Amino acid sequence: MTPKFSLKNLHKSFGHKHVLQGINLEIFTGESMVIIGGSGTGKSVLLKCLLGLIPADSGSLKMDGQEILKESMAQNEARLQDIGVLFQGSALFDSLSVWENVAFRLIYAQQMSRKQAKLIALQKLAAVGLSESVANLSPAEISGGMQRRVALARAIATQPHVLFFDEPTAGLDPIFSSVINDLIRGCVKELGATALTITHDMKSARAVGDRIAMLYDGKIIWCGPANEIDTCDNPYVQQFIHGSATGPIHLETELQHVA
Amino acid sequence: MTIEDGNKTETKQDNNKAVTALLSNIGRVFLDFLASTGRVALFLSQALSQGVRPPYYGHQILRQIWEIGYLSLPVVGLTALFTGMVLALQSYTGFSRFNAENVIANVVVLSMTRELGPVLAGLMVSGRIGAAMAAEIGTMRVTEQIDALTTLSTNPQKYLIAPRLLAGVTMLPLLVLVADSIGVFGGYVVSVYRLGFNPALYLKQTFDFMEVQDVTSGLIKAAFFGFIIALMGCYHGFNSRGGAQGVGKATTYAVVSSSILILITNYLLTSLLFEQG
Repeated sequence: MTPKFSLKNLHKSFGHKHVLQGINLEIFTGESMVIIGGSGTGKSVLLKCLLGLIPADSGSLKMDGQEILKESMAQNEARLQDIGVLFQGSALFDSLSVWENVAFRLIYAQQMSRKQAKLIALQKLAAVGLSESVANLSPAEISGGMQRRVALARAIATQPHVLFFDEPTAGLDPIFSSVINDLIRGCVKELGATALTITHDMKSARAVGDRIAMLYDGKIIWCGPANEIDTCDNPYVQQFIHGSATGPIHLETELQHVA
Repeated sequence: MTIEDGNKTETKQDNNKAVTALLSNIGRVFLDFLASTGRVALFLSQALSQGVRPPYYGHQILRQIWEIGYLSLPVVGLTALFTGMVLALQSYTGFSRFNAENVIANVVVLSMTRELGPVLAGLMVSGRIGAAMAAEIGTMRVTEQIDALTTLSTNPQKYLIAPRLLAGVTMLPLLVLVADSIGVFGGYVVSVYRLGFNPALYLKQTFDFMEVQDVTSGLIKAAFFGFIIALMGCYHGFNSRGGAQGVGKATTYAVVSSSILILITNYLLTSLLFEQG
């Protein structure tokens, strides 16, 4: 079975900072993979490499068996049409209303009429539990939790087959976090999509992941089914999931080179 | 070797080090300048190559035309009005020493159309629009909105940069046309109502001595200035890093670099356009 994503010996450095140092990982079609790891371990960089937003230095990165490391801008644009992304800070466009944010790809990339796109946007907003009353508000007028839901609605608006979630519950209270986790799980199942979530929130990782991989020191140090993470014997994983200050993981105070 | 000789050798070595450090600093600044120029050129070529290909974002172009053209009218108009008024007053004080008060109308119209209209409008728009562009695009960069655009199958260069460049190039000449008219009107008001000039004579002198080239040269300059303002605002915003501080720096760089480039370009264009005159 050809994996949806296949990463082999992937490297990425920023100056002297070696962020990814040989990532090997396979993500299969229809599965929900979660990558956990501490702040500054390169989770976001890995996600951006997969999206083609940051070029990796070396290694192999394949989607559906096609090498994407050296793809052209046009190929990248075509590939991204089947990918939905939920960004860490929601990344909603301030100059557009909530429904225009959700319908953005439908209107500007798929050239759908605004009327039809608005109908779909309202359906997607309803799917993430938001009423029509917020549709005409600007993103600045709604709460952080609602913004995250709008961002999720935007990610699923075109029913993509691949979904990426970058720290989907960061900055949210536990109740909103649970709501977002349930929505992610539901959307992934409903679309039958392949999902990749990066997070350091273990509750979220357990809730949305079929498999979990841990990134540490630029490498995947453990990968396995989500229900086995609590019983695994990897000391790094155990320290991370229990949030213990003592253990093999050293807290670094290096400057972060990349957001 | 005496102590004095030793001191002299040390001083010479220190001097050599200072000269080397100075030269290496100059070299570094020059290399940085070349690298920055290359980056701006690359950014521009990408924006232009994306901008000419469909789809075209009409609403974005209209929004920028509204922002740059219409919303800049008050600030450009007020600047031109008071500049024209001051020009008439100053010219009167200066030229009355040589009994040459009758050329005030010519001085006002030539100064406004050739130089003050385009340059002051350019500088004012640079402060208003260049800063706003850098801040908006910079904020979009640091909040991942530009990454989001890419993932939503929309090229950021095409969606954000090309409309601003187009609006900058087309709107500045129109703003300068308005600035020229208001500036000349300001000179007329002061000359007629404060200095006691004959209104009909003032207007006759204004239009008799004004040539088409005076206006067109100002409009050509304005198109260049509009391009510079939009390019610098977009470039610095697009490449901003590091949160609020990075956006602040991008805004400062956008205004400073576009203002300096406007003044340099103004000199170059003046020498080019009026070489024969």
